[in-house]
Amino acid sequence: MQKRPRYGLYAIVSLSVLISFFPIVWLILTSFKNTAGIYAWPPQYWPDPFTLDNYISIFTNSPELLRYILNSFIVGAGCTAITLMLGGLAAYALSRLRLRFAGMLMVGILAVSMFPPVSLLPSLFQNFLNLGLLNTYTGLILAHAGLFLPFSVWMLASYFATLPVEIEEAARMDGMGFVRIFLTIVLPLSWPGFVATGLIVFIFSWNEFPLSLVLMTQNAMRTAPVGISLYPGEYAFPWETISTATVLAIIPVLIITAIFQKQIVGGLTAGAGK
Amino acid sequence: MASVTLKQIGKSYGVVTAVEQFDLDIADGEFLVLLGPSGCGKSTTLRMIAGLESITTGDLMIGGTRVNDTDPKNRGVAMVFQNYALYPHKSVFDNMAMALKLQKMPKAEIARRVNDVADMLGLTAYLERKPAALSGGQRQRVAIGRAIVRTPEVFLFDEPLSNLDAQLRVKMRMELQELHERLGVTSIYVTHDQVEAMTLADRIVILDRGRVAQIGTPREVYEQPATRFVASFIGSPAMNFMPAERAGDGWQVTGTDLVLPGFGQLATEADALTLGLRPEHIEVLPADAAVNDPWAFDATVKLAELLGADALLNLSVKGQPLLARVGGTDFPQAGETVRIRVDPARLHAFDPETELTVARAAQH
Amino acid sequence: MSRTMSLERRTALTGIGFVTPTVLIIALILIYPIIQSVVLSFGQSSIDGSQPYQFVGLKHYATLMGDGRFWNALGVTFTFTALSIPLELGLGIGLALLMNESFKGKGLARLAVLFPWALPTALNTLIWRWMYNSDYGLFNGVALQSGLVDRPINFLGDEVLAMGSMVVVAVWKTSSFMALIILAGLQSIPRDLFEAGRMDGMSKWQEFTQITLPLLKGPILVALIIRSMDALRTFELPFNLTDGGPVNATESLSLYAYKVIFDFLDFNFGAAVVVVQFLVIFAMSLIYVFALRNKD
Repeated sequence: MQKRPRYGLYAIVSLSVLISFFPIVWLILTSFKNTAGIYAWPPQYWPDPFTLDNYISIFTNSPELLRYILNSFIVGAGCTAITLMLGGLAAYALSRLRLRFAGMLMVGILAVSMFPPVSLLPSLFQNFLNLGLLNTYTGLILAHAGLFLPFSVWMLASYFATLPVEIEEAARMDGMGFVRIFLTIVLPLSWPGFVATGLIVFIFSWNEFPLSLVLMTQNAMRTAPVGISLYPGEYAFPWETISTATVLAIIPVLIITAIFQKQIVGGLTAGAGK
Repeated sequence: MASVTLKQIGKSYGVVTAVEQFDLDIADGEFLVLLGPSGCGKSTTLRMIAGLESITTGDLMIGGTRVNDTDPKNRGVAMVFQNYALYPHKSVFDNMAMALKLQKMPKAEIARRVNDVADMLGLTAYLERKPAALSGGQRQRVAIGRAIVRTPEVFLFDEPLSNLDAQLRVKMRMELQELHERLGVTSIYVTHDQVEAMTLADRIVILDRGRVAQIGTPREVYEQPATRFVASFIGSPAMNFMPAERAGDGWQVTGTDLVLPGFGQLATEADALTLGLRPEHIEVLPADAAVNDPWAFDATVKLAELLGADALLNLSVKGQPLLARVGGTDFPQAGETVRIRVDPARLHAFDPETELTVARAAQH
Repeated sequence: MSRTMSLERRTALTGIGFVTPTVLIIALILIYPIIQSVVLSFGQSSIDGSQPYQFVGLKHYATLMGDGRFWNALGVTFTFTALSIPLELGLGIGLALLMNESFKGKGLARLAVLFPWALPTALNTLIWRWMYNSDYGLFNGVALQSGLVDRPINFLGDEVLAMGSMVVVAVWKTSSFMALIILAGLQSIPRDLFEAGRMDGMSKWQEFTQITLPLLKGPILVALIIRSMDALRTFELPFNLTDGGPVNATESLSLYAYKVIFDFLDFNFGAAVVVVQFLVIFAMSLIYVFALRNKD
């Protein structure tokens, strides 16, 4: 294409960016307003006065909001670790060990990943209640691992498919068993795939709602999205606290997305391309 | 070092047969080449010997022991892969030492062996590098070195030279030859390149669509191809084939006026044959030579192509197109008429149905 | 392990060992609960097992068939899906074409459109609920101040507007995801196809309809599958935006099931709702899987 000024293109791009971004900007602006500014009419477009009071008050008056974020971290990290480890092993076996049932199992895993989470609720709640897994990290980590293992198996399997199989065969000729091949050859060679899968699973787990809502009934055990959504209880929505907590809860995701944009996009589209 | 015996070895995936059962005895120290086009089953056969592919039927013996269900590492075999298959995240030294480390060999002994082999292959200066920092030829040497340090009973090569450029391929081929002479280890080598097969092999196994077409020395497969497939696959440019029908004592090439005299006692009663004649076995004479020779014919040059040392002539002999290879100096040009002579001893005959070579009792 | 076991068997056993933990977790979390829901839906029982399970046959399903709120929820779910998916697809294709151009700041632009997808739906929804607010919301502020309207619009209080508002949030959040998948498809189209098209004298529009769209069929289908499965089970969006209101106008099937189970504490009837929802989604996914099969 020739160098012709493309104002139209830039206009559309700017508009898309603006539309994508303004709710987040509005949220952040809201978190810096004082109560009067938040409930001002007409709305205050720029915080006046600009204040950090909401942030300070969260750390001093509402530590439970920070607890939600900590819970989300623990559950997300646990779920990611399990999903990568077990999903990696399964994906390796299914893509490399020429199991007779591999094709069927892959399709089956894909099919169950389409189950609506709400369908699981009556049974999961009852079983977790009876097993004492309600309001435990173990329970929610397990539940999230179940939800996201299909994704990670598919994604890692599609990553393994891009690695030359000869290296693993050479390792067999050198005398390695499958476990050692997985740990010393496959893992180091496919770490970009593991990183992408892990980041996406972490985001999935961080964002998951229905199971986190139902399996964590104690306030102190709630994850960030649930805890913040249920925060106000019976009273009117305290937007100053909500907006600030929301900013804190989305920061980890914003950072991960910004830093690992390439890996996440690559992973998502590779997984979806199957 | 060990002999390798394949007893009725075969491979099938469900109902699809990849390699039909066959027997093969590979002597201790022999260099055996499995040759054929892609998909002929040569790699599958090699991988069955390596233990990377399970064996459907038959017995595989290495050094007299049945190893069908032995792990690859315990078969005493080492393999050189087509894409080198080096561990990209490990140094050249670690690549070569891996198998020894896994055998829990003492460190000093590992270092001694790796250094010896690196020295032999000219890799000493590169031992600390990662494979990505090596040229194609160097990577190939590492792959070979990795196999040598294990001092295996049998070397397996899976098209090891096919990723190299033409010049390097010739050089590495010669190195492999020297290496085999020096080490004398039984070697099984898969390739689709007939030049590699002819130059390296003590014996060649030619496979065609999962079936063994012929097992023989390079000279045998060139001079006495067992099937039409072998005849066409070995030799470059490929053999001329002519369908022919019995005409009295001789043979008339179908659809042309070309009649060849009878040649020897053929072990067939059939009235049709496929005749085969290699381009290099057609002699081009001056236009007025060999007037009374029944094996000499007039031919018109349709196209003459200089290849360098040789030239290829597209001839028409009484309506039958024939390709001839002649010396590259002073050859006839397109449009000229020449006299050609065919050596009946070099004429091949194949059964048109079975494509097997028709045996000849005697020759002129 | 015996030496005589065949290589193939040994490899297979290792493989089964590798797959088992994953299969166990999936069975425990995804498959067994579905089966248990089916069992629950045919009976009467208590949550803690203090009363024995009593088989009641199709009783709950019969109730369900006569339950107006269930049919309403089914309708809401389908309406929501049917409204949001085409919008997301159209915007997604547009965004993908845009991101396929080269321009300064492309990385940042792509990041900006990725954010809405990466953030938790529940929290996104809270932000929108705040902007939709009829008393203090940004939208009403802008609309009133600019003179577009003379009284506040009750975005979430009107049956039609509430559905529209919900669709807007969904489209805002997921168009970028659609775009990403379609963009990957776009980038896998060999460039020389377009060059050949230009040699044949195709216009930009013809390039798009003759080359781009037909070759994007696969990625578009995949994006549609993923998104409609999501839309059909949408939960936290109505949960946080409207709680299903006004007058259940935005009560999705998932939300209805949740309320039956955890607000009315009727696990057996809730299980029936959930099983029907599962069947609906499963049928849809089967249709899609077959569509994908036929594509290859």
